Amino acid sequence: MSIDWSYAWQALLKNWPMFWHGVKITIAFAVVGTVFGFLIGLVIGAIRAVPIDPLDSPAMKALKKVGRALTGLYIWVFRGTPMMIQACFIYYLLRPVLNWSPITAGFIIISINTGAYMAEILRSGIQSVDPGQVEACKAVGMTNFQAMVSVVFPQAIKNTFPAIGNQLVVNLKDSCMMNAISVTELFFQASSIAGSNMRFKEIYLDTAVIYLILTTLATWILNLIEHRMNRDHTESSAKPAGKKKKIFMEMSS
Amino acid sequence: MSDPVIRVSHLKKSFGQQEVLHDIDFSIQKGEVVSIIGSSGSGKSTLLRCINLLEIPDSGSITFHGKEILSRDMNKQDYRSKVGMVFQNFNLFANKNVLDNCVLGQRKVLKRSKEEAVDIAKKHLERVGLSDFLNKPSTKLSGGQKQRVAIARALSMDPEVLLFDEPTSALDPEMVGEVLEVIKDLAKTGLTMIVVTHEMQFAKDVSDRVIFMDQGVIAEEGTPDEVFNHPKNARTRQFLSRFMNRDEESAEAEADEEKTAVAE
Repeated sequence: MSIDWSYAWQALLKNWPMFWHGVKITIAFAVVGTVFGFLIGLVIGAIRAVPIDPLDSPAMKALKKVGRALTGLYIWVFRGTPMMIQACFIYYLLRPVLNWSPITAGFIIISINTGAYMAEILRSGIQSVDPGQVEACKAVGMTNFQAMVSVVFPQAIKNTFPAIGNQLVVNLKDSCMMNAISVTELFFQASSIAGSNMRFKEIYLDTAVIYLILTTLATWILNLIEHRMNRDHTESSAKPAGKKKKIFMEMSS
Repeated sequence: MSDPVIRVSHLKKSFGQQEVLHDIDFSIQKGEVVSIIGSSGSGKSTLLRCINLLEIPDSGSITFHGKEILSRDMNKQDYRSKVGMVFQNFNLFANKNVLDNCVLGQRKVLKRSKEEAVDIAKKHLERVGLSDFLNKPSTKLSGGQKQRVAIARALSMDPEVLLFDEPTSALDPEMVGEVLEVIKDLAKTGLTMIVVTHEMQFAKDVSDRVIFMDQGVIAEEGTPDEVFNHPKNARTRQFLSRFMNRDEESAEAEADEEKTAVAE
């Protein structure tokens, strides 16, 4: 059960170009998955949160019900199965039709998967906004859609920001499942290095440390953003010119 | 009499088993200020919310300049932009500052240019005495300031009718005055207004007509003098006497407090 610490260090330096390639892909997956997942979640969450209005036409009522059923099905399936299975199934299912590369497939699958989680986060965020806010929008004549975009979404996103940001951290780690469709992310690279050197403990230790650094950095950045969101809200909008300097000062303190 | 701006006829509304509005008929003329009084649960707020379609009545009709607004062909947004609403809990947009609260509706619904919307918003904010708070987050205001912003927000839409749903009920006592002053000023400008209120003196001073609601029906209707000084209905008398007593009691309580404060 001994670990050769100096080998772990040497191997990290020697194989750094391969590790670095994996790190870049992993970050790309986490960012793309979180951003597109967020956008998907916003749309799906809104569909699930919109109430059925007694004044809606029968067609609109039916449309809303179908929308809820379909989005419910989507969330049920994608939250209820492992992302690795989703990746393998969808990649091989659509490969004959789309002839897509693993990396394209991976980006799409992680986005769809994250979207299912984001939808539930944002639905609860939307429902946590005081109904009086929507009533006030309606009272000045805004449509449901305008109320959502201008008043509800900004508050829902702010209220659920910690949970939204957590998805970035989750995606940094869970993107490793994409090795199943041979995306060359960090874990895939680590396995290759470990296999070709026949040294497993030390290489996976290096990999774990790299993941830990990535997730710590992500958490730190998210905390910074959350802190600033709260402060921007309490103080009136600060001068834009001073903002960059402030970030720098916070980071260095 | 000319055609009413809003006419409500045979309006009914239930929440579950409970019938909140039972066959309501009333109308309001251009320039008229109507107060609706009555105890909690009498249906005043529900009636107001039905007029602005925030609640959908079960049956009956509401017309605006003779046009039925409960029909599906009616453009709800267009109608609501002409009928402003001031809420008991202010409902200022929590993610916007004071100025943007008054600009948003103008931009999105009336499609005004940014410059025009800002000018109009500033004009109304000045009118309610909040010119110095334009960039302040709406969440950082006192209750009285919030309600005055809410009034400026409604006015910025140039409404034909303004509805007030217990505009001072959520305020600390010392802030009630500043809001009532603003509403009184508005009443003088000839704006058509329906005010649901528990402030009897205010209702007396400001209204052309007072409606007393009780258990989902209009129990009494008339000029302030008729309703407050010569009520015909027994329930109106009972309600008003309770209110007067309460005012006296609270005055006595305050006097007592002062005495103890002096004694200490």
